[in-house]
Amino acid sequence: MSNQKKRNFQIEAFKHRVVVDPKYAEKTWKILEHAIHEIYNHNASGLSFEELYRNAYNMVLHKFGEKLYSGLVSTMTLHLKEISKSIEAAQGGSFLEELNRKWNDHNKALQMIRDILMYMDRTYIPSTHKTPVHELGLNLWRDNIVRSNKIQTRLLNTLLELVHRERTGEVINRGLMRNIIKMLMDLGPSVYQEDFEKPFLEVSAEFYKVESQKFIECCDCGEYLKKAERRLNEEMERVTHYLDAKSEAKITNVVEKEMIANHMPRLVHMDNSGLVNMLLDDKYEDLGRMYNLFRRVPSGLLTIREVMTSHLRETGKQLVTDPERLKDPVEFVQRLLDEKDKYDNIISSAFNNDKTFQNALNSSFEYFINLNPRSPEFISLFVDDKLRKGLKGVSEEDVETILDKVMMLFRYLQEKDVFEKYYKQHLAKRLLSGKTVSDDAERSLIVKLKTECGYQFTSKLEGMFTDMKTSQDTMHGFYASHPELGDSRTLVVQVLTTGSWPTQPSVTCNLPAEMSALCEKFRSYYLGTHTGRRLSWQTNMGSADIKATFGKGQKHELNVSTYQMCVLMLFNNADRLSYREIEQATEIPASDLKRCLQSLACVRGKNVLRKEPMSKDIGEDDAFFVNDKFTSKFYKVKIGTVVAQKESEPEKQETRQRVEEDRKPQIEAAIVRIMKSRRVLDHNNIIAEVTKQLQSRFLANPTEIKKRIESLIERDFLERDNVDRKLYRYLA
Amino acid sequence: MPRASSKRKSSAPQNPPAVKSSNARSAGKAKAKEIENFFDKYANGGIIDPDGIVTLCKDLELEYTDVRILMLAWKLKAVKLGYFTQDEWETGLKTLQVNNLSKLKKAISELEKEVRTPPNFADFYSFAFRYHLTEEKQKNIDIETICELLNLVLGPQFRRQVDLLIDYLKVQSNYKVINLDQWLGIFRFCNEISFPDLENYDETQAWPLILDNFVDWLRENHR
Repeated sequence: MSNQKKRNFQIEAFKHRVVVDPKYAEKTWKILEHAIHEIYNHNASGLSFEELYRNAYNMVLHKFGEKLYSGLVSTMTLHLKEISKSIEAAQGGSFLEELNRKWNDHNKALQMIRDILMYMDRTYIPSTHKTPVHELGLNLWRDNIVRSNKIQTRLLNTLLELVHRERTGEVINRGLMRNIIKMLMDLGPSVYQEDFEKPFLEVSAEFYKVESQKFIECCDCGEYLKKAERRLNEEMERVTHYLDAKSEAKITNVVEKEMIANHMPRLVHMDNSGLVNMLLDDKYEDLGRMYNLFRRVPSGLLTIREVMTSHLRETGKQLVTDPERLKDPVEFVQRLLDEKDKYDNIISSAFNNDKTFQNALNSSFEYFINLNPRSPEFISLFVDDKLRKGLKGVSEEDVETILDKVMMLFRYLQEKDVFEKYYKQHLAKRLLSGKTVSDDAERSLIVKLKTECGYQFTSKLEGMFTDMKTSQDTMHGFYASHPELGDSRTLVVQVLTTGSWPTQPSVTCNLPAEMSALCEKFRSYYLGTHTGRRLSWQTNMGSADIKATFGKGQKHELNVSTYQMCVLMLFNNADRLSYREIEQATEIPASDLKRCLQSLACVRGKNVLRKEPMSKDIGEDDAFFVNDKFTSKFYKVKIGTVVAQKESEPEKQETRQRVEEDRKPQIEAAIVRIMKSRRVLDHNNIIAEVTKQLQSRFLANPTEIKKRIESLIERDFLERDNVDRKLYRYLA
Repeated sequence: MPRASSKRKSSAPQNPPAVKSSNARSAGKAKAKEIENFFDKYANGGIIDPDGIVTLCKDLELEYTDVRILMLAWKLKAVKLGYFTQDEWETGLKTLQVNNLSKLKKAISELEKEVRTPPNFADFYSFAFRYHLTEEKQKNIDIETICELLNLVLGPQFRRQVDLLIDYLKVQSNYKVINLDQWLGIFRFCNEISFPDLENYDETQAWPLILDNFVDWLRENHR
């Protein structure tokens, strides 16, 4: 630049001297083409990366990117075709190895090529929306090798063959498999899925279909399930070793469908080894396996549950209707508890504590327990037995466990009010005879009943306990205020509040003179402190201990009922008494007297009286004597009969009738309650609401409810709507 | 009209109020007197008692048990079974526009048609029951009387249903009496349920229980 020129100068771009040699592009390409050849021929070490890069760069810069790209495509394709031939030529086992080896080579080559052509990759390709080099390399591999006519089918078959062999127990080269599969995955998800996965699943389905058919013909249920489980685990393992993780769900579906879903009914109902047999034999492992396998398929658990439920219901129904079992109520209930325990264990050990199974168990029990109308009575008798003797010496914890189990059965009862009635009767007998093993156990059960059914259910029962306690205090007071009676407590009185205890028709008999004076003393004492009350002696519920001396001087203490005492005391003043004389003197009602005399004269080992004639039945003209020859090993002899027993037929009818009568006002109260709040309600809804309200006590009969509604209409509590006959209206 | 009624013990008659001359008023008074005399023919101690009704029936040439007497009682809005008070008589007869026996005879045959029209019949049916509640606070009528009533009141219209129902009522032992609700239920039953197939009887609807039992009995015994 001369320094004389003074003018504004512009800065211009540095212009490189462009060599516009038309052969330039061709020459440069040839260099690169050669390089690619060398790379594929494993001769890359002699190449200069920098020079090649520059050449590629220049081509692109001088707008020869097109030529470069298409050249790349054709060169690579050429090489791949050669590679394809060499793979095709491979024999047997080396086919996959060759493929794998070539694939690795190709990847290495591709990487180098991409590095060289990086400038093109970043400028020319994006702007022309062409496939980037790496991807291009994969696509070319895919099209020329994997999907070439001669290779595609062969590849697939080889892979499937290997899988099959592995399934039949052979060991295969898992590493090689993994690499080949990975290759397919790298080529794109559709390649893996179309070229391998789909056929793989089809073939697997076929395989398992055949296998499951074979197994089910020759195996029992437990064995079959073991095999199915094993296959399932195998497939999952296969996936982790050499397949795409996404295939796991698909292949396990195939196994589940072919081996389990398709054969579920047959498995479950298999003779001698199906679900029912497993349940009967407590086969926890097999059951657990079945549970785990079946839960994988739709309706699997439903199937198990249904079979279990119908089996349970059937067994339960037989249990409760079997006349043999009904002879011993305690046994009956124990059997129920055992059954419940059994299934609780099955559900916790094998069925994963599944709530739906627990519910099925509960509904089954509820179903069959209520099939037998005597269930409430029997459960009460069971409790009675336990509280009398069964729980003797049992730890507090175990007592609680047993009572809780009884409560479980109680919950299943639909007629809880029937249970209440029997429980009251039995409790009364226990309390009055002082025969309860554990006061704490009694109270604990009351608390449980209260929690379950509310205060109303147990208020009367608690009243009974209160009466017992109060009576004790009354006794203290009585003897304290009558010091002349001395220390011996001849008379023990329990004062029972009429409403709380089971109603008995009160019949008094003539007490012996020794007693009646004392009883009168007590009566005046009591009424003195409790004016306005009425006392009536319940002579059919008491007991007495009397000392007796027999003919040869043998002394015994006899524990007898009050009636028996009255009869025996008569013999202090007479050696011989006829039935009629006894009846007259004691005024005991005939049927009770007959039973009483039978127990005193006709039972071996307890016959303190002698009867003429010696027949078992008591006739009006029979005569009674003291049995001077009476002997017993024990000094104390128990002859009383105040034990709770299952009711006779007529007693049962009576109790049932009383229960029905008690239900009527409860139904009416429910109807009035509901109508009072709803004002107007239609027939079906009343029935539903009333049933729901009374559910905790008993299952209300819709016909009975209807009767009560009509009775309430008649008494102007309700009226029918004029227009819609189905509606009832509350009349305030 | 209201002014003139001070002499009469009844409410306003059915004739529309019109301008009346003194002729009409005296004619009205005369009619009232005739009705009163008519009443006195059968009355005993200010009221027509059962004997009086028997006599009336003889005059009308009707049986004492004829349903038309019951209809007359309905028209008269009689309250006590077997008795017509002066009030009931006079008001009723005025409504019927009757003041002597021959007119009454004619009116009664007209009455039958009037009663059998649907709204009136329902009212009549209900009346028939309530009329037969003789004691105070009585709510039920014994089965035997019910059977007779059914025959009398519903028989003509629902012969088949009534006959079978009467058979049933006699053999069943659940109910010894029928109350108004059940009585009305029977009427609805005859009207609504197709007979004898009982196709549209739905036990879950709020039919009185006695009808549920009747339907069960029919299905068992008459298929």
